[in-house]
This record gives sequence, structure tokens and C-alpha cells, in this order.
Amino acid sequence: MLTKKLPPVQSFLLLFSRRVSHLTRQQYDVIVVGGGHAGTEAAAAAARVGAKTLLVTQKIQTIGALSCNPSLGGIGKGHLVREIDALDGLCGRAGDWAGIHFSVLNRRKGPAVWGPRAQLDRQRYREFIQSELLSTPGLTVLEGSVQELHVTEPSPEEPGRHRVTGICLADGSPPISASSVVLTTGTFLCGSLFVGQTTSPGGRIGDAPSSAGMSQILRERLDLRIGRLRTGTPPRIVKDSVDLHLAQLHPPDSHPTPFSFMNTQTSCKPEDQLPCYLTYTTPGVDKVVKESLHLNCHIQEDTKGPRYCPSIESRVLRFPGRSHQVWLEPEGVTSNLLYPQGLSMTMPPDMQLRLIREIPAMHRAEIHTPGYGVQYDFVCPTQLSPSLQVKSTQGLFLAGQINGTTGYEEAAAQGLWAGVNAARWALSMPLVALSRTESYIGVLIDDLVSRGVTEPYRMFTSRAEFRTSLRPDNADLRLTLKGFEVGCVSSLRYKEAVKVKDRLQEAMATLETLTLSTASCRKKLPDIGVSENKNSSLSGMELLQYKDMSFEMLASVFPESLSRYMEFSQRLKIEAVYKPHCDLNKKEIERIQKEENMALPQDIDYFSLPVSMSKEVREILDRVRPSTLGSATRLEGVTPAAVVALFNYVQVTGRKERKRHRNQQERKEEEDEEVCKRNASLPQ
Amino acid sequence: MSVKVKRRLSAQRRIIPVVHRGKDARLDGKALQRRREEGQRASGRRRGWMTDAFTSTGISCPHRLLCDGVPAGLADADTIFALSSGHGRCGVAVVRVSGPASATALRCMARHTHLPPPRAALLRSITDPRSGEVLDRGLVLWFPAPHSFTGEDSVEFHIHGGSAVIAAVLQALGSVPGMRPAEAGEFTRRAFQAGKLGLGDLIHAETEAQRRQALRQMSGELGHLYQDWSRRLKRSLAHVEAFIDFSEDELIEDGVLDQVDSSVSDLQAEIEQHLQDERRGERLRSGVQVVIAGATNAGKSQRPAAIVSPIAGTTRDVVETAVDIGGFPVLLSDTAGLRDSRDLVEQEGVRRARERMQQADLTLVVVDSAHLPSEVHEAADFLLEHLRSVLSSPTQPETGRCLLVLNKTDLLPETQRKELDRELRGFRGLPPVCLISCQSNDGLKDFLTALQGSVKTLCGDPLSGAPTLTQARHRAHLQQCVAALAQYPRYRDSDLALAADGVRLALTSLGRITGRVGAEEILDIIFKDFCIGK
Repeated sequence: MLTKKLPPVQSFLLLFSRRVSHLTRQQYDVIVVGGGHAGTEAAAAAARVGAKTLLVTQKIQTIGALSCNPSLGGIGKGHLVREIDALDGLCGRAGDWAGIHFSVLNRRKGPAVWGPRAQLDRQRYREFIQSELLSTPGLTVLEGSVQELHVTEPSPEEPGRHRVTGICLADGSPPISASSVVLTTGTFLCGSLFVGQTTSPGGRIGDAPSSAGMSQILRERLDLRIGRLRTGTPPRIVKDSVDLHLAQLHPPDSHPTPFSFMNTQTSCKPEDQLPCYLTYTTPGVDKVVKESLHLNCHIQEDTKGPRYCPSIESRVLRFPGRSHQVWLEPEGVTSNLLYPQGLSMTMPPDMQLRLIREIPAMHRAEIHTPGYGVQYDFVCPTQLSPSLQVKSTQGLFLAGQINGTTGYEEAAAQGLWAGVNAARWALSMPLVALSRTESYIGVLIDDLVSRGVTEPYRMFTSRAEFRTSLRPDNADLRLTLKGFEVGCVSSLRYKEAVKVKDRLQEAMATLETLTLSTASCRKKLPDIGVSENKNSSLSGMELLQYKDMSFEMLASVFPESLSRYMEFSQRLKIEAVYKPHCDLNKKEIERIQKEENMALPQDIDYFSLPVSMSKEVREILDRVRPSTLGSATRLEGVTPAAVVALFNYVQVTGRKERKRHRNQQERKEEEDEEVCKRNASLPQ
Repeated sequence: MSVKVKRRLSAQRRIIPVVHRGKDARLDGKALQRRREEGQRASGRRRGWMTDAFTSTGISCPHRLLCDGVPAGLADADTIFALSSGHGRCGVAVVRVSGPASATALRCMARHTHLPPPRAALLRSITDPRSGEVLDRGLVLWFPAPHSFTGEDSVEFHIHGGSAVIAAVLQALGSVPGMRPAEAGEFTRRAFQAGKLGLGDLIHAETEAQRRQALRQMSGELGHLYQDWSRRLKRSLAHVEAFIDFSEDELIEDGVLDQVDSSVSDLQAEIEQHLQDERRGERLRSGVQVVIAGATNAGKSQRPAAIVSPIAGTTRDVVETAVDIGGFPVLLSDTAGLRDSRDLVEQEGVRRARERMQQADLTLVVVDSAHLPSEVHEAADFLLEHLRSVLSSPTQPETGRCLLVLNKTDLLPETQRKELDRELRGFRGLPPVCLISCQSNDGLKDFLTALQGSVKTLCGDPLSGAPTLTQARHRAHLQQCVAALAQYPRYRDSDLALAADGVRLALTSLGRITGRVGAEEILDIIFKDFCIGK
């Protein structure tokens, strides 16, 4: 994979345009609108499932652009990247290709919360993503701005239920039809940019704003609840103008850990990696923030911004008098820019310059591009089902910031899952959901669709109830096989995952059978601290659970049975330590899955439901319209009594429904038979 | 007032709470096998399963499952039981059991060799499976799955409504392997998962709001205590989570974890203390320890026939009797007369009597009123002095833990009796005084009222809340909470994710009492306490 030569950007841009010119068929299974992290994963996933897919983006050149920070992964986010990779998504492999500084965060805190992370070369990342999309069979890329979304009028039988039929571009070309449309508009949905006191329409500096039509259609035609969020990005600093010796050097890991299960090494050589630098804000920074407040519209607006990615302005306002960290991150191998993580700001550019120069390492720094704020529309995600389809509109899927999330990884994860379901919808396959008990992607989507958002949503490991089971190391075991079933995993990766699974199981079984008496443990492995008073024997599995016991040490005691599993030494150690805890989780997981499997019909009229239920509960249920009983139970304010009532209602109506269905079927069969008879009697 | 003799136990038997292996024979083969397997698993060595359960957590408790069971995920494989009729005094109480061990419970509690016909009411003696003692006579009903309220194997015991009987039956059920007290709303949840619930039953489905309400109403102090634990536990968890999710990029000092360390160990100690100290619930389950003490020949053993039938012979050892006083279980211990004696047997008797008084919840000090000085104030001083010597306490006796019984009042002149009765009541420093005559049954009614009042205070009033059920449930959750907290220091240095999991489980267990805590609430604390800026 890594040895693959990427075509130079120019030549494949040509290839793209050639594809576009060959665009004679104006009908697709899936249309993906947007070429960011969500859009690219969605398009690639839809194509992998087997749908004829079209990706429409404003500028082909910016496909795969890292609009904000030049990094991927981290704690919680790294988990998402591993899961996306396990489902054969792009970003893990792209990260391995474009990474220039790899480190696993939380190394000292236990494998369940390790956070694989990398600084990226922006250009290489874009190149990889563009080249991947290009080589994906069944995927076409088109440059253009989407003017309109075509939906059918709801049929009288199903009021308020539309169906997507296609899109219309702003250039006046004929409409393009599709069964599914995935919207990944990012910050471009009614986006406006803020620097100081000036405001201009747009989603990213340097790019044209997208048409206002889309937001209007979502709001007026489809009657969706729309909210507004804000985010921001720091100024980019000219590297040569920074005195890096005044900042702390942060070297990368000496052995880079790749994101992808398919890679054993990263494209960047260990010794070629670039460092990051850490520095701190000074009281002078506080002063500039306070002086510039009246010149700062973005900060005065009351649109919800994230608590965990705040601008320097909001940090200073919320925690005054403190010194805040600023990370100086490289933007690429050849780039002469630094990204000052932690200095996102929206004050006027001259004040921005004054501010950064208050920091010793940047006392003479120059700004290449000023920081700015973005405000954008998002669709309240409780209006989606766990497949990320809009409940009221068949075939319309949303992913990324449009659902109120923040972060590349969160966007990519939703994009992939929306792409899978958009393709399945178009190909008349049942929609699929990921459980929060099996993946962070499941946690992410479940949190979004069943709880909604009040601020941009970011993934943390603390959001996952079963964190000890959902580890970065076992994402392939959790998801690749399932991904193959739903159609988004190639057979190559599937075979690899099956092999790994079998080998691990075999090794675990071997570990269970190996035993060592405590006496010989103390003799052969004196350092692991097997207690004196234990007179029984320990299995290999139990031995591995000791803190200071590595698989290598165990293999040296049992070379003939264990040396063949050396490639899995780390994974086996982790599996052994976590096994008892995961076993404990199992029952609770099964209970939740049982509840998740009970679907609630989307057309329930909660207000007229003939059960005893308070008005408040009815309102909550009507507003959120949970897809499953499981998500209903997690809603705040929904009482167990209400859940029971719902369950009953669904059971009873389900029975009636099935009966009606059976009757219909029988009638239809009878009719069919009659038709057959009639046909048979006709002269051939 | 129904006060009746229930059982006689030897003093030895009560002091060492061991379950005899021989009793296993009464259980069916499967349960026996499971008991043994569990016992062996708990320690890896062959010992009694009960002792294993005790040592594995360091807490002694009557319900073994509560000790070494699964920390948080109370799973459906368990068999649950609860009082399903309302709390407070009632004519008939219904105790429901649901789950795979229901049949075992029925067999060992109602002594069925064969299971009774389904859904038929049978009048049976209901016995304690450990001691074989008859607890009550009532109706039992057997509902094999799926034809039951929950869809699982179920049993109902319809028993007499006294709180002592209910407590005894619940306690006996708790001793059956595989059984635990039900969580709030758990029967309903099981019923609903099995698709068994009729709309009428909804009324009783306990809601989160009701639970919070119940907590608020719960004797204020206890509610505050649990809420305070919950608050501290949430904060600890938030700080560990912040350290896990943000410390790599943010300014979160290592000191944060040190705070968590001390907070967790404090909580562990406090909850453990609470579990040991908080004896009200236990009193209600195992009986209030009432000791009758006094000098020789004060008439201790001639207690009113209304309490217990007279016990023949000189009392040299502690003789224990279980009685029901106003619906509360009471363990009445008759002790040897306190005097210096050269008789070795009697010396031992006196030693035991003193030991028993140390452990007593309530001591009835019996005085021969013929020995009282005739002047009232002198009599009071005499009584105070006498109390000190009997209770061998240098300070004033705690009045709530003591009841002064002046016996043989029939031997006093009428005027002196009346004066004593009038003047000694509420006399400074003296515990409640009762003048009785076992001979003429004079003053007996007042005595019983006073005794009942004291016992009621010691147990808490079941009419004011729901002590038996909630206590058992709360205890179970608190024990799981403590057990889960122990996971934190164990993994603190090697794997913070597993350490945090311990705190999470602890909060989940406590949350079953104080209300569920979601991830968002923890994140709120994180963002309030730390400047997270990446």
C-alpha cells in the first residue's frame, strides 16, 4: 500500500476532468454532496458497497483538505480512526501515508485509552485521498455547486414523508437523479466567516460560499429543525519567524505506530519525523484579548461554541489569569508554516499579531493567514435514524458537521456509515446500525440521534460505557467481519481479519492450557511477583495478567508453544489483562442490545397513543422520536413506566401488523394465482 | 398485642454465624453443586462457601451474593425477590420471587419434595432453609415459566403481614444460593422484557422521579449522606476521566490523581463504616438484642409470662429467646445474676452475661424493688449506683439503651409504689422506669408499651418508610459500590482505564440508589473544573 506511487496532482486532476466530461449518464445510486472528511468516506464507502456513486464538490482541488489542524487521531478520536480503518475507510491509511510525527497518547494509562495520533503533511493527505477516490471503481467526481435537492411530495398515506429523487446544480445543467443523497456540507451550510468586525458569507477562507438554497430546502420544504453552531481556527504562523529554541521540544515516538490494521509501518521513516513544540500564553495575551473584545463580533454572538475547543478569547474569559498551553505543530515536510494549536481567535488581524507576539517564542512572529471564526447551520440530529437517514425523508442521509459534530474523525466516521446506508438504501438492502456496545462509531451516532447536541459534539473515551471492551487494538475484531457483511469491507481485508481472529483465538486457547506451578513461576519468572502463599498453579492467561509480565517473557518459558505467536505479543498481553473485565461487561451489553433491537415505528403519534403516559413524556418522545426502545430508555425524562407502555403498544400493534401483513400476502398470492391462471389460459 | 414464642437458640449458635454443611443436604443437588463450585472459585481452595464469601470482601453480611457477586451489571440470570405488597402493617404480605432459582427457593422454604401443581395455592409451613425453623404458615404458589408475571419461573409466598415475619422470610430467601433482593422496578423490567405486562401494572412501575423522591423522603440524614457520596464520587470520576481524556494536551497536573486517590480511599472507608455501623436494617432483619440483667434473685427469669414462658432452673448461661414485640423481631437474652461468686460455672455465667450486655442494643435492668430505700431520692441514687455496677460503666448509662424494671412491686406498700411511679419517671439521669409485679401482673401493660417504644426507636419505624426492602437493596448496592472502588487502587498505577472502570462501576451502583449519572454530567464537571482547550 505504502509503496504505491501516487500520480502527481496535475495529472490526476486531468483524469478527473476527463471523467467528468464522460459524464453522459445523469443517473446514480448515490450522490454525495461535499468533499471533506465525511463526504470522501461516504463516497468511497457507498462505492465499496457497490452503488454507482457521484461525489459533487465545489473544488476538486480541495477534496481531502485539512481545513483546521494538521493532525489526525488522539484520545477517543484515535479510536474512531482505528474503527474507520477496520471498516475499510480511507483516513487511517491516509494518515499513515501523510503522517510526519506519530505518537501514541496516554501510553502510561492503559491500552483501552491509548490514543494513536499523527501530525500530517496537508498536501500528502490530500493527494492520498484524491488518488484513492480516483482509483475506486464505480465512483465519479464532479465539480459543481448544488443548487437544489429534489424530493417528492409526501404521499397522502404517509404525511410528512418525502423521498429523495436527485439534485440540481447551480450551473443550470440538467438535474441528476439518484435514490440516495448524502449531504456533508460541513461549515458551508449558510456559513459565515468572522474576522474582527467583518463578516462574510462562506465556509472556509479562500473558498466560495455555497448556495443558500440547501438550507432553505431543509428548513422549509422538509420542515427540519435547524440550529446554528460556531467554530474557529488559529492564524498560521511563518515558521522562520518563530524562535523555536524558546519553546519546549516534543519529539515523536521513536517507533511510529501506524493507524491502519493493513500497515505494519508508516510511510515516513522514524528518523525523518518532525517535532512539535510547546509554549505557554503570558499575562500579555489576557490583556490583548480584553482590549480587543469590543472589536470581536464572533465572541459576542451567542451561538454555541465548543467547550473543549474554545478560542483563546473564551479561554481567557472563562479562566482568567492562567497560563494556557500553545502547541506549535508542523504543517508539512516542505511547508514553512506552523499551526499554533490553542490560539484559535477571531479578533482583527492587527490584534492577532499583537497577541501572538506576547508569547516569548513568537515575539517577532509573522502571520501568514489570520485566524477566523465560522458560524454555520446544522440539522438537529435527533431527526435522524441510527442509519443517519433523515426520518422524514427517505433516501436523504446527513453526515459530519451538518449533524452538529466537530472534528475530522467524527465526520469521517459518520460519513462512512451514511455512505454504507445510502448505498444499501439505493440497492434496496435493509439499513444497518452500529451498537454503542460494539464501537465508538455506535456511541457517536447513538448520542447524536437519541440525545441531540447543544454544542459541537466531540468524541471522548468517557462517552463509551464499555470503554474496556472498545479498544483501539481490537477494532478489527469488533468491526471488520461485520463490515464485510454489510458490504463495505474488501475481501482482502476480510480475509486478513479472519486470519488474525483465528490466530488470536488459537493463541488464547493455547495460553489457557499452559500451566506453571507457582513454585516454578517464582524460580523462572522472579520479577513478576507471584505471591508466596499461592501453592496452586497458574495458567498462561493468568500469568500474562500480571503487571510486569510480558508475552515475550512467557514465550521464553514456553518457546515451543508460544514463539509462533510473537507477532501478536502486544495484542495477546492486552487481551489477557482485559478479559476478566470484558467478561463482566458481557451481560450488561447483551441487555442493552436486546433493547436496541426493539424498533419503534417512526410514524407513532405519541400524543394520541392510547396508553397511560404523561404529557411531558409524550412531548419528549414526539420531539426526539427514538428509533429503538434502547434509545428511548436513555432519553432524559422518559420514565421506565413510559418505556413499558411503549413496549406494550409496539408488541400489540406489531402483532396486528404482522397479521394484516399475512392476510395481505395471502390475498396477493391468491390474486397472483388467479393472474397466473388467466395468463396460462391466454394463447401464447 | 400478639407476642409469641418463636424459637430457642443456644447462645453459642448466635455468636458464631457459620452455616453448617449438613444443611446443604436440604437443598437440591444442583444448588448444592453450584454452591460448592462458587465457594471454590472464590478462593481457589476448599473451604466453606460462606466463609469464602466473607473473606473475599472483608465484609460480613448475611447475603453471600451481595458480597462477591457481579459488581454492577445485575444480570437477569439472578433470581430476585421482594416484598410486592405495600409496606407497613397489613394483614397479608406477598413476597415474590422470580428467576431460575425460584424452584429451589420453593423447595427449601416450603419443604416440597416435588414441585406443587402450577398456579395452585397451597397452605404450607414456611421455613428458614438454614435452621429449619418455621417462620410462618402461609400460602405458596408456583408459577412455572412462561406463565408468570415476569415470564420466568416465579414463586409467591403469601404470609402474615408483621414486619418480623416479612423480614425473616426475606432474610431466609437471601440465604438461598443465587438469590438477591430485587432492584427498584426490576420485576416490571423483566416482565416487560418478556412481553408480559398488562397496562394495569404500569401504576407500579417505579420511575426515576419516584426514586429520587423516595431518596429525598428517606430519613433526611441518610439521603444527605448518599447524595454527598454520589457528589464526591462523580467528582472523582470526572477528575480521572479528565486525566484520561485531556492530560496529554492540557494542563492537568498529576496532583489531580492524588486527590482522587485520597477521595476514593475516604469513600471506601466511609461506606464500609456505614455498612458495619448502620445496624437499623440489620436489627430489623436479625432482631434487636435485648438483654435482661440484674443482681441475683431480682426475678429476671420470672419475666412476665406474656413475653416468654418461664424457664425452669437457675440461669447460669445466657438463654436466648426470639420473640415478636409489636411486629418487631427481638432476641431476648436472659443472663446469670451478677454477683461475685466462687462457683466456677457461675463465674463463667457472669462473664458471659457481661459480654452479652456489651453487645446489647437494649438492656433491661431488673431490680428487686424490696431492696429500694423507702425515700424516693435515696431510691433514685440507689438505682443510679446500681445501674453503674450492673452495666459496669463508670459514666451515666445511656438512657435510650436501657430500661429499668422494678420487679416485685406487690411486696411494696401501695403509697410507696405510687410515689416511686410518680417521682422516678423522667428522673434526671435515670432511664425509663417500669414498675411491675410478675406475681400480680401489675404494670405489665405499661412495661410492654415502654419496651415496644424502645424497640421501635432502635429499628426505625417501618410505617414511615420502607426499611426492609430498601435497606436490603441499598445494602446490596453499597456493597457493590465498595467492592468496585477497590478496583481503583489496584489498577491506579498499571492501567488507569481499568482503575477508572472501578470508579464508574461504583458510581453506577450508588446511582441505583441516588439516580443514574450520565456521561454528560461527568463532562459538565470536567469542563467546570478544568480549562480544556485543545
